[in-house]
Amino acid sequence: MQIQVKCSCGAESCPEWAIVELQGAVEVQPSFQDRLQNLVIGELCRPSSQENYTFTVGYHELTGSKVTLKKPLLVLKKLKSMDLDQGSENGPAEVELDVIGIIRHKILFKTRPRALISKPQPTVK
Amino acid sequence: MATDEFIIWSFMGCSGAEAVLNLQPDSLIAIAYHPHFGSHDDLMLLEVDEKLLPDVLQQRVTLRGQPDEGAVLCTRSKTYAIKFVGTSNSSFLIPPSDQFAPSQNSLVCDSKVYDLQQLAPVIKVAPGNMELNEVSPRLDKLKLLLSENPYRTEEVLEMDDWDMGKSKTGLYTWDDLVERVQASNDELRAGLRALSAVEIDGYWRIVEEKYMDMILRMLLHNSVLNDWSLHALNEDEVVRVLASDGFPQKLALHCLDVYGSKMDGDVCTSYVWKLDGRKVCVHFGREILREGKRKMENFMVEWLKKIPDGIQASFDMLEGEVLTEKLGVETWVRAFSVSSLPLTPAERFSILFRERPKWEWKDLHPYIRDLKVPGLSSEALLLKYTRRTQPSLDAEPVFSAR
Ligand SMILES: [Zn+2]
Repeated sequence: MQIQVKCSCGAESCPEWAIVELQGAVEVQPSFQDRLQNLVIGELCRPSSQENYTFTVGYHELTGSKVTLKKPLLVLKKLKSMDLDQGSENGPAEVELDVIGIIRHKILFKTRPRALISKPQPTVK
Repeated sequence: MATDEFIIWSFMGCSGAEAVLNLQPDSLIAIAYHPHFGSHDDLMLLEVDEKLLPDVLQQRVTLRGQPDEGAVLCTRSKTYAIKFVGTSNSSFLIPPSDQFAPSQNSLVCDSKVYDLQQLAPVIKVAPGNMELNEVSPRLDKLKLLLSENPYRTEEVLEMDDWDMGKSKTGLYTWDDLVERVQASNDELRAGLRALSAVEIDGYWRIVEEKYMDMILRMLLHNSVLNDWSLHALNEDEVVRVLASDGFPQKLALHCLDVYGSKMDGDVCTSYVWKLDGRKVCVHFGREILREGKRKMENFMVEWLKKIPDGIQASFDMLEGEVLTEKLGVETWVRAFSVSSLPLTPAERFSILFRERPKWEWKDLHPYIRDLKVPGLSSEALLLKYTRRTQPSLDAEPVFSAR
């Protein structure tokens, strides 16, 4: 089997994606667990001209920085093209991988969260 | 951590990765789950070296492998194993604003409404990414496939009668091989060459040695009859004469290719070939030993008798093809060809040490010099698979199994 890798945006104009990465998992209140869509996770803030960032999630704050990846990450999307003459063989449909984005930087939060205020806290993991 | 304050928001005209990456000092942006947030298993991350990037983006790489093999990524010249590396971090993946643009009807409805320019949507949490590691092409499989149905003497005769009725099992076109063998195009081509394979009627074949022997002896016979020089064989003439002896043109050419080399010359007239003395000598050495081992003296007499005039034979031409061993006072020779050994180092060394528990360097070298493992020098390879001992300071080192 052979899968062609292509970039339909045209190599030079393949858009940049971003990653915001933090340690552990973000826990959502049970009532929202199965409908995360549209929910705000937190606020990303750049307090100064340096590449330092804070990420505020609920009553917690993380501090981190923008890092350039040693090797870029490509965002691949699997495309299944519909085989028109399906009667011929019962082989798998033709698959292609489209490079739809490239990631060169991420905003990385390596620290554990710091509580912003000391009122009753939601669960911290 | 837990989100405490829930804000449902609108994505109409919202921003994306670019706003995160270009966040200005003293400003903030909300990171939110995209209206289409989900596992999106069809989205994958592949870590790629900067050097490989142009190849990947300009459609010069493919993934190859059968469902039961781990996939590899092939550029034009190299093969890379693909490994998934998971992460326990939360890696929020944010597309640029013009990709995965949310539909208009996902609307605002809660306490705090963000400025539309200050929202970045997360489409999925990446569970990890794929990594590439350069590996050797998996060419043992190529040998296996081509050995299923080698080109035989009988086939030449059958061809006249039942051309269309021929069985196509065990026959592979270039495209079939690309589908089945985990190697880049360049590596596959080199592999076919190393196996002395030839494309016949669209299928890549290896030719039975018996047949190659017949055609080579016919070529040498004709060169005596027609007074051809083995150092300057005229391609057109050789092919014409061999064809009149019943050898297909393609195989006559293949014979020149296997046992000779094409000389630079006037392309307008005809190519000129020079027979390679070593390859011819090796061929006849193998022919003699096909039936089993021989006493050295007998072997040498028989071998030299077979070597055509104009070609000089010397025993060291057979390195990597034969092994000698002392039994009592006699020295015996027997066939042991590097080309019959597996290409994966572990299997190669295992067979070598089964053959002989101890090897001197000069004997071992011809059987391992073709092994190439990306990122591993030949010294490192030796260190990994052999134990080196030196009986005394001035003695030759001896290699045994690790
Ligand atoms: Zn692209």
